[in-house]
This record gives sequence, C-alpha cells and structure tokens, in this order.
Amino acid sequence: MPGKTDKEACLFSEANVRKIETDYEDWHKNRLREEDRQLDGKYFTPSGIPVKLIYSPADIKDIRYSEDVGFSGQPPFVRGVYPNMYRGRLFTVRQLAGLGAPEDCNQRVKYLLKHGATGINILFDLPTIRGYDSDDPEAEGNVGYCGAAVDSIDDMDTFFADIDLGSISTSIVTHLPSTSLVIPGMYFGVAEKRGTPLQKLAGTCQNDFIMETCVGSAPEILPPPVSFKMQCDVIEWIVKHAPRWNPVSYNGYNLREAGTDAVTEVGVAIANAIATAEELINRGLKIDDFAPRMSFFWDLHNDFFEEIAKCRASRKVWYKLMTERFGARNENSMRMRFHVQTAGVTLTATEPLNNIVRSGIQGLAAVLGGCQSLHIDSYDEAYSAPTEEAALVSIRTQQIIQQETGVVNTVDPLAGSYYVESLTEEMTHRIFQFIQKIEDMGGLVTAVENGWLHREISKYNHTHQKQIETGERKVVGVNYMKAESEAACPIEVFEYPETYSRQKARLEKLRKTRNKEKVKSCLEELRAKCHSGDNLFPYCLEAVKNHATLGEIEEAFREEFGLWSFPLMG
Amino acid sequence: MKKTDRLIEAALAGDKLSIARMISLVERGDDQAGRILEKIYPQSGGAYYIGITGPPGAGKSTIVDRLIHLFCVNGYSVGVIAIDPSSPFTGGSLLGDRIRINRDAFKEDVFFRSMSAGRVMGGLSRTAKDASRILDACGKEIVIMETVGVGQSELDIAQATDTIMVVVVPESGDNIQTLKAGLMEIGDIFAVNKSDRAGAEDMASSIKAMLDLAPLKMDWHPSVFLTAATLNQGVDELYEGLWNHYRHLRKEDRLKLRRKNQLRSELVRKVDEIVFESLRDRMNRDENLDLLLEDIWSKKTDIYTAARNIADQWKAGASGKHGHTDEMS
Amino acid sequence: MERRIRVVMAKLGLDIHWRGVLLVSQFLKDAGMEVIYIGNKFPEQIVEAAIEEDADVVGVSTLSGNHLTLGPKVVELLKAQGMETVKVFMGGVIPPNHIPILKGKGIHEVFGPDTPMQTIIDGIKTAILGTDPPTG
Ligand SMILES: Nc1nc2c(ncn2[C@@H]2O[C@H](COP(=O)(O)OP(=O)(O)OP(=O)(O)O)[C@@H](O)[C@H]2O)c(=O)[nH]1
Ligand SMILES: [Mg+2]
Repeated sequence: MPGKTDKEACLFSEANVRKIETDYEDWHKNRLREEDRQLDGKYFTPSGIPVKLIYSPADIKDIRYSEDVGFSGQPPFVRGVYPNMYRGRLFTVRQLAGLGAPEDCNQRVKYLLKHGATGINILFDLPTIRGYDSDDPEAEGNVGYCGAAVDSIDDMDTFFADIDLGSISTSIVTHLPSTSLVIPGMYFGVAEKRGTPLQKLAGTCQNDFIMETCVGSAPEILPPPVSFKMQCDVIEWIVKHAPRWNPVSYNGYNLREAGTDAVTEVGVAIANAIATAEELINRGLKIDDFAPRMSFFWDLHNDFFEEIAKCRASRKVWYKLMTERFGARNENSMRMRFHVQTAGVTLTATEPLNNIVRSGIQGLAAVLGGCQSLHIDSYDEAYSAPTEEAALVSIRTQQIIQQETGVVNTVDPLAGSYYVESLTEEMTHRIFQFIQKIEDMGGLVTAVENGWLHREISKYNHTHQKQIETGERKVVGVNYMKAESEAACPIEVFEYPETYSRQKARLEKLRKTRNKEKVKSCLEELRAKCHSGDNLFPYCLEAVKNHATLGEIEEAFREEFGLWSFPLMG
Repeated sequence: MKKTDRLIEAALAGDKLSIARMISLVERGDDQAGRILEKIYPQSGGAYYIGITGPPGAGKSTIVDRLIHLFCVNGYSVGVIAIDPSSPFTGGSLLGDRIRINRDAFKEDVFFRSMSAGRVMGGLSRTAKDASRILDACGKEIVIMETVGVGQSELDIAQATDTIMVVVVPESGDNIQTLKAGLMEIGDIFAVNKSDRAGAEDMASSIKAMLDLAPLKMDWHPSVFLTAATLNQGVDELYEGLWNHYRHLRKEDRLKLRRKNQLRSELVRKVDEIVFESLRDRMNRDENLDLLLEDIWSKKTDIYTAARNIADQWKAGASGKHGHTDEMS
Repeated sequence: MERRIRVVMAKLGLDIHWRGVLLVSQFLKDAGMEVIYIGNKFPEQIVEAAIEEDADVVGVSTLSGNHLTLGPKVVELLKAQGMETVKVFMGGVIPPNHIPILKGKGIHEVFGPDTPMQTIIDGIKTAILGTDPPTG
C-alpha cells in the first residue's frame, strides 16, 4: 500500500480528489434511485472483492504512477515484463499434443507445427502422469487416453522423430516432481544422443509438488516433504545444466481448476516459489542463479477484470518479494513470466459450442493481462482430449486475437482504468495477506501435510456447487436458459484402444534387449541415494539413459519413501 | 424367524455378505437384532479385542492397515470396526477410514466395517460392541475398533476392548494436558506416530514421564512406541507390544477380570436401556399424561412428586408381569 | 425405523481427480446418507467394500477414460457375489454416446459433469426407496 504522506507522487492532486469525492457523494445521493443504492455492497468478484457501481479517480487516489505502476519492462513490472511486449514477440501459441502411443503423438506434433503452433505442450496419459508403466496392472483402462503413453527414453525418441529439438519449445506437462525427475531426463537423453547440446533446449517442465499432493492426490502418493524436495532437486540440476529450460512452472492453474479462488491460486503458487527459493539458497545457490528460470501458470476464468487484475498484481507481488525479501539484483529474477490456459472448469458439456465463446473471452483477458504464452481450451475438453477440428478452432481463436483485434498493438491497454487499477491494488494486498497466512501456519509444506489446503478446496467446491444449485451463480445452458431438449452432442471422441497392446509389446521387447545388469545397478544406486539427501536428478538421468522405465524408477521411490494420502476430515 | 436363523448360520460359517447384513440389522435396531445377538453370544469371546483411539488425523487408520497386514502374515484373521462421527444436523455421515486400507493379499481373512457414531442408539459402545461380538463369533481372531478420541467415545471403547492403543502425534505436544485428562488414563499402549517429524522423541518422553506418576492398572506399565506408519517404521515393535499386553492379561486371570468388569457395566447398561425404553413407551401411551401435566402447570402437584409417582407405578406394574423383556425375541 | 441409505463411493483406478467424488459425497451426507468414501480402488476392491459395508448403492467416479472397461466390471462382480440388488451409479467425464453402452451393461444411471447434485440425490433415493422423493 502506498504511503499516505507521499501526496506529491500521486496521480491526482489532493484538491481534485476532494472535488471528485464530493461529486461522487452528490451523484450517489441525487442521481441514484433508492433501489440502486440498496444494491450497494451486494456485488463481489468471485474471490470476494466488493465491486462498486462506478469507479473514479478517488478509488485510486493513493496510487503513485512511477512506483506503483510504471512502464512495461521496468519495476514494478505491473504493465508487463518486457518493454515492447507483443510488438517484440507475440505470445507463444501453445497447443496440446498427446494422445495414444508416441507415434500417434509424433503425427500430431507435426500437424500442429505445420499450422503455426510455436510451442508444444505434451500431455501424458494417467499411468505416465502417476509414474506407472503401460503394462502395470494399475494402468488398465487408461493407457493412451487423454494423453500420451511414455514409458522409456525410446518412446520419447519416437515421440519427437524427425523433429529438431533445438528449434522448438516444448512444455513437458509432467505435473509431479517425482516424474519431473525422470521424463525431462528422457527428453535430455534423446537430445544428447542426437547431438543437440542441453544448452540449446528450450522448454518447461511443470514440476510442482502442489500438483502431486493437493490437486491430483487421489491415490496414495509420495509424502509432501519428499515431493517438495524432489521439486527442488529438479530445479537445482536443470538450472546448472540446461540454462534455457524452465525447470518449474508453479501451477496455479490446476489448483484453481481443483477449486479455489484467484487469490489462493496465485498465493499458493508464490508461497511455493518462496519455499523453493529458501531451500535452494540453503543449498548454496544465489537467488539470481535460479529465479530468472522460475515461471508460473495461471488459469483465466470468466470474471474478465478480476482475471486481468490478477495477472497484473501477480507481477507486482513477485517483483516486491524478489527485491525486498530476497535481494535479487538481476532484473530477470524480478520478472514474473507466466503461461495461461483458459479455464477448463468453466466449460460445459451441455451446448459445447458455447465454450468457444467462453475460451475466447478468457483468452482475451490473458492477452490483456500480459501473458507470455497461451493455451486456449478446445470446446470439447469437457469430454476428452481435443479432436483435431476443435484444436484448430483454439489456434484460430488465438490468431484472431493476435491479428484481428488490435489489442496486441499497445502495451497493457487497461492501465489507468479506475476499476482495473483499484482491483490490481486490492489483489496485490490480498495475495500478500494470503502468503502471510501460509507462513504463519508453518509454511506451505505443513499446510499441505495437515490437510489444510485440501479442506480449503473441499469447502470452496461445496459452496460453489451450492451456489449453482440454488441459482445464485449462473451457468448459461446449465442452470440458466437451460436448453429444452438436450440435442445430441456432436462431440467425437478420440480413442486409441490399440495403444495398450502396442506399448505392452514395446515394453516386453525393451526388457529383453536392454542391458539388464546395468539397469539393475542404476536402480540400486538410485535407491541408495534416496536416503542420502543428494540431488536425485543425475541418478535418474543415468537410469533412463540405460533404458530403465518410468515405472521402475517410480516404484523405487514408492518403496523407499512410502506412500501418503491426504487426511480426510469432515 | 427361519430367515434370521439361516442368516445367522451362514454368517457363523464365515459368509461375508451374511455377516454384513447381520451387522446392519443390529445397527439399525431391527426386530431381528435381539435374536441374532442371543444366538451369537455363546459363540463369542475367543477373539482378542483391540481399541485404537487418538486425535483426528493422528494416523490411526494407517496403523490399522499396517497391523492388519502383520496379523494376517502371522496367520490371524482380523475384523475391524471403524467409527466416525456423523452430522448432528442431517444424521448423514462421511466415513473415510477405509481409504487407508489396502490388503488385497489377505482379503479373505479381513472384514472391515465402517460405522457412524451418530447412528448408534444407547451409546457408541453398544453397537460397536455388538458388531465386534458378531465378528468374533463369525471367526475373526482379532477384532479392532478404531474411533476418534473426542468426547465420550474413547471411554466407550475402553469398555469394550482388552487393549487400548492411544495414537498421538508430535504436534499434540502442546496440549498434552488435555491428552492427560482423557486418553492418558485409558491407554495400555501409546504410539507416537508420524515420528518422521520433529518432536516425536520429546513427545514420547513426556508421555513416559506422565505415566510414571499414574497408578498402575492391573500391574501393567503402559508402553510407548515411536512409529511412522506411512514408512512402515516401528510397526513391528508396536505389534509385539500388543501381544505383550495380551500375554500380560492372560496371566493371573487378568483378562477374565477385565472382561467380567466390562460385562458388569454392559449388563447394567442393557437393563437401563430396556427399563428406559419400556418406561418411555408406557408414558407415551399414557392418556392421563396431559391431565397430569395440567396439574403440574397449575401447581396442583409438583414435578418431583409426579415423577416419583409414575416411577413407583411402573415398578409395581413391572414386577407384577414378569418377562416384560419378552418383547426382545 | 428410518432407513438410512448406505453408499460406497470410489474413484476408479488411478484417477487423480479426488474433489468431484468428495463433493458428491458431501452432498449425499448432507442429504442424510451414510457415505463410505473408499478413495481410489479397482473393481474387485470396490465390490469387496460394497459387501462388507452392506451398501445399497455404489457410486464410481471417473474422469480418465477407463469407464467402459472398469465400470461394467463392478456390476459383473457384484452380480457374481449375489449382490445384484446393489445399484451402481457412475459419474464423471463420460461421452454421451457411451451412456447407453454403460446402461446396457447394468449401470443404473450415469451422471455427466453438469448434473445438479439434487438430481443425483433424487436418483439414488428413487432407486433405493422405490418412491419418488417429495418435490421441493
Ligand atoms: N508424516 C506422516 N504422516 C502420516 C503417518 N501416518 C499417517 N500419516 C498421514 O496422516 C494423515 C491421517 O492418517 P489417517 O490414518 O487417516 O489418520 P486417522 O487417525 O485414522 O484419521 P481420522 O480417522 O480421520 O481421525 C494421512 O495423510 C496419512 O497419510 C506417519 O507416520 N507420518
Ligand atoms: Mg481413521
């Protein structure tokens, strides 16, 4: 909050503000009808910030332009992380690839690159996400659905056949730290084999222990402290060896999808980044060694202005933390870069074409919020991984925003809006408060371990659902203007039933042909290292290069660290 | 009655579905409950009854899961009754203990049943006790009851088991005072779980210190273990600890004494229940009650005298026609 | 004596999405049912739980595409154990054209992602108590 004494630096003179305040009083009393006044205090953003009927300079009277807003590419980075923003480089159009077996994905990646995608997001099927091989009994029924099956380094090789790894940016959506220790290693291993130096590789792996322990924590998983330690291992190793690679994407997105408001989404992600920074500094790194490579991942929902304010506020919070708390010197440490995906949970299975509109509006908010890359959900995502037709509509939506709307031609066009600036201030304040609350609780790992965050998610969903049931919250086509007869849904579902048998055969062959002794000794060494406190990344890398499978490595973790599941209360 | 008898027979022969149905009938207070329990009683008494209690989220169910495994490996069959609280408003409940249970290898030897405390009439102990007696009679050699140690429930469990294991976690260190009040007194065995976290040893020593001051029950020095159930650490020792207590009970007829004491209070409670129910029944049917209320209201008589009169009348009536409890069969 | 409906709720297999099933569980609890939430389990374990818990209803939730293989397996195994009266409900992300297939294989009802909780509650009550629930 800006200091009250520094009136000189404020946007409007004191006298002007006083006049505006009197005018407002007058307007409020004489122009508004009694009914309108009654409604004052009854409107809120989804994260509970009161929304007034009208905003004026009086609502941002304490803002000092240079300190609190400034220009793009300079502190406090509210208006954007780069000076020229989208004139310099348009946001990356990221599309998802990942369906069936690696060879199916290879086709898909080529298709997307040909149609103008500049980055690839690889999604995995559930067994891969959870660290099970395709032939594991636990994987039954899930192999190749909703994502790619990748069991070994050889699968990764097939996935990227004929594609130059040095010229694309790849986001490996690993979710969990334990699989981030393994799958990016497969990608690095393939690059190494093809002679592409690690220094040239651009990309991201998600690597977020909140993903492992709160969002996708249904079956038993590694305990939170272990998962958190692995998250730090991945970051430490990659920062040292693959400098263009973003070793972590603090995933507010999936937490938000699981059920939280915008403040919690950003607050948890940043609290996690703080905890990581502290751990890495303990391990002897300097803040500027790694902070420039930390990136974030936000979920943009339907409340247009709150989402834009969230993006702006998150940049400011990050800037302040990096400079005031961690003493960062490198400006790249202070720049919060984030990827945005539009909100899957807002999509409806009824009348799926409406989703194109929802995603379009959310995508627009992301661009107005200054995102670095964007994924627009396909309208059929409420049902399955997207079909080609639906995926194309998403790419087209992004291209329309980029090429036809003109919103990318100027930086942060909503700056100076009384409403947006005032919301940005309020968001900043609430995010800081939230981070403080987590720290008072003993830190994020503790808040996860004792089930607090799970309970927050449960409570949120319970309330949210009640609001939908009572009609307090409207969802078009679902509880508002509900379609009379539900027209048969035109959605086609992609299925890859043959993936299971293909992957199974492939694994069988791999297990016969690889050097068994070597695999065994790699895994044994890894197990021993689990209890040494050493960074586990190099041991995992060595194992995958010797064709150990994802499932074998993860099984070692499960046995060495034991399994945990969140405490259920109430 | 034929149907009930067939059900009982199948259950005694180990049929899981019949056991499950029987527990439901008893839990629901069904008409057949009385007959089932009478038939079951003679077959029961062979099992070792273990109660596990402690604060919410301490890791009780995780420990139960590990213990089930150990009992099964050693050739025992196990029955578990896991009791969770229910909503006082809707009567509904969300029972979550089963999440922790993974025992595919021994599924034939294990019977796990979730129960909601709110459902229970006449105190937690009754239904839980009845259900565990059913499991015992149907062949389970080990019967475990898990319940959250809040309010009254842990005392009820103490009345229904041979060994009480209290599970605590390092964090409860702050309120060791409250532990002392309830849980400290009933514990035969203490597990300081989550010992992978800081403070577990301190917690264990303060429990030991406190136990040193407490009077012995049946010459037993309660034992304290450090466990990390998710890592499967310390659970073998805990398992041995249970058997140590059991062996101690088997010596000098202590088990018999403990169980007889429990039977005594159970009997008193059962009579209470029967008397209470039939008395309330009678009052509800009494047409003169309204008139009597009018008299009390207008101070023609007072509520104390009126109550005593009703009770006296009931006593005379009850002794007049013996076998009032026939209703049960 | 009031009849309390006992519901065993499970996530199918490896599915990581815990909150949907927990949310439904909470609403069923609020509607006065006894919900036994068993977490992620496979059909054999779900049926094991249904037996021991003497369930009236089994609810399985899945968002990961394994519904066609694993869902009907629950029904089959229940039948094999003599528990054909238990009603199996499914929920989650299930493509509309799969719903008739699932129903054909004995799933009592399938609830898509936008289903109001009240519909689920009413669906269960009608199936078990046999009467239409009072409206309002
Ligand atoms: N760190 C750690 N966590 C544990 C340990 N044992 C259990 N937990 C975790 O503690 C939480 C609660 O475990 P439960 O076994 O459900 O505890 P409970 O006492 O049965 O819980 P309620 O029945 O809800 O009162 C879960 O998240 C477990 O994974 C342990 O030894 N160490
Ligand atoms: Mg429990």
